[in-house]
Amino acid sequence: MATPHLPLPPRLAFVAGANASLPLLMAIIPFGVVCGASAASIGLSFGQAWALSWLVFAGSSQIVATQLMASGAPAWVTVLTGWVVNLRFMMYSATLAPHFRQRSRPGRWLAAYLLTDQAFAVTLARIVEGREARETAWFYLGLALSTWLFWQVASIAGIMLGSFIPARWSMDFIVALTFIALLVPLLNNRPMRGAALVGGMVALAPQLPFRLNLISAALAGAAIAMLLEKIWTRPSSG
Amino acid sequence: MDPTLVWLTILALAATTFITRLSFMGLLAHVELPPLLQRALAYVPPAILAAIIAPQVFPVVQELPTLDWPRLIAALIAFAVAFRTRSTLATVCVGMLVLWGLQAV
Repeated sequence: MATPHLPLPPRLAFVAGANASLPLLMAIIPFGVVCGASAASIGLSFGQAWALSWLVFAGSSQIVATQLMASGAPAWVTVLTGWVVNLRFMMYSATLAPHFRQRSRPGRWLAAYLLTDQAFAVTLARIVEGREARETAWFYLGLALSTWLFWQVASIAGIMLGSFIPARWSMDFIVALTFIALLVPLLNNRPMRGAALVGGMVALAPQLPFRLNLISAALAGAAIAMLLEKIWTRPSSG
Repeated sequence: MDPTLVWLTILALAATTFITRLSFMGLLAHVELPPLLQRALAYVPPAILAAIIAPQVFPVVQELPTLDWPRLIAALIAFAVAFRTRSTLATVCVGMLVLWGLQAV
């Protein structure tokens, strides 16, 4: 049973949330710089590159959109692929929703705009502790706002750096390395590893029309993982 | 690239992303996400991340993936660093140093 906690008042919960974002900065700042730099390196204007970081505000999909725009993919493929990368937010939104039911509409819209992998993961740990919904909402707001702020600063630094980096430095490889760092913690069970393996293989398959490889990789990876989950979890549970 | 098209792309991606984030918190506040879909969504990130990494490690030349030893070795070492340290900064720094070192050889 979860230990009962005395609920923190809103201000303290907000500060606790902002503090909880500090250990994440070692991951958020390099990623933000990389996203900003790759947007600038394909020739987007400062305004366009920054709009990606504050309007879209989702690193992996920003990188995907950047790469597809640079490769000359049709706009609808860029939007569709970027959106598929962000589908996971639907799952986060569903998980957090009960804790925001009592909040005002602007509050819920702000919370939704600020939703990220990091804010979700840390808030989920807090929810599991059995914290009260109102406190959880304020904690989340402090955490997510602070994450947003550091992301913008890192993005702007990246945009300014990106246009000066010479091509022979193979900076595109930094994107791959950043994604390796994001991928490794996800590989904690066999279906997840299967999804990654299939996703990688589909991406290397002969180019599909309209550069639909990434979407195909996502769908094939998720489908195989669901299948593997069925094969591997049934015998142990039954 | 046509600036208007770039702006439209960014705005469309921003709108679809926001609607996805808002989905169950705002628009569908009293709807539950079907468990099957919830589990399927969890598998999209590893598939996508691997799909972005793969062509950087095995550069696709004329529709076919090729073997680029410096990139492959740097990526494998970066994987090991990521497993050991769980640090983005360490993974990126070690990976780039290995790549530049091998390219200089």
